[in-house]
Amino acid sequence: MADTDLVIEEKKEVQATGESTRDVPVFVPAVDIYESENSLTLVADMPGVPMENVDIDLDSDQLTIRGRAPQHEEKGKALFKEYTYGDYYRQFTLSSDIDRERIQASMKDGVLKLVLPKAEAAKPRKITVMSS
Amino acid sequence: MAIFRYPNWRWPDIPGALEDFERARRQMDRLLSVFTGGSSSPASSGVFPPLIVAEDENTIYVEAEIPGIKAEDLDISIVGRTLTLSGERKAEETPNVNYHRRERKWGSFRKALTLPEEVNTEAVKAECKNGVLKLLLPKPEHVKPRKITIEGE
Repeated sequence: MADTDLVIEEKKEVQATGESTRDVPVFVPAVDIYESENSLTLVADMPGVPMENVDIDLDSDQLTIRGRAPQHEEKGKALFKEYTYGDYYRQFTLSSDIDRERIQASMKDGVLKLVLPKAEAAKPRKITVMSS
Repeated sequence: MAIFRYPNWRWPDIPGALEDFERARRQMDRLLSVFTGGSSSPASSGVFPPLIVAEDENTIYVEAEIPGIKAEDLDISIVGRTLTLSGERKAEETPNVNYHRRERKWGSFRKALTLPEEVNTEAVKAECKNGVLKLLLPKPEHVKPRKITIEGE
């Protein structure tokens, strides 16, 4: 067991309204972004969003992630609520060149994983020194 | 005026009252965060995972947001009227990478909840889909409300 205790990170609502036409709150998903030699990987928590409701859009260097929560059926009478259902929205500006053709997205247990492979030009190149 | 503590206390039976209250609370939090420097105190218990609890005549519904937690890393137990959720959210193994952002949290958790009613532990159903755990806790026959018909002459 890890020695850190998980606490609730209260969902943050998007401050500038994303001009949503649905009457649901829009949250900022928590993300991890890491870079390896060949790719940039983005991991986002979007609980309650099924795979088919995720929209990923890359327009020049602007990456937009949108997750739409399905209509929530209220069952019974609520006794207490520690979270709210809602959509997710977040935008990033990418710094390195991305190979758009090979972007991979997967969704598992409410976590989106986006692998953005770097374009050949942006990869670090090893230069071998030739001996004369 | 009498103030009742949970579980005797119930939300008033107005449709959408809880949602309206939630919305008002979030707006208030946002307003107050200007003065407190962004740290608003949530109305929740602060213990992971966040829950939604509801009930009707026959069933208690418990939902929890647990993104990225596999079914085998989660333990659900019911002893008497206490429901306990415990487990661990594991960090992804990522060798040889540089992190630009690390906002997702991991670690172990344990949360206990006193249910408003006894439940039939034999018939509990659990489902985990898209990072949301849904528990259906049926109430045993003796706690269900019984309708009493008045016999006419």
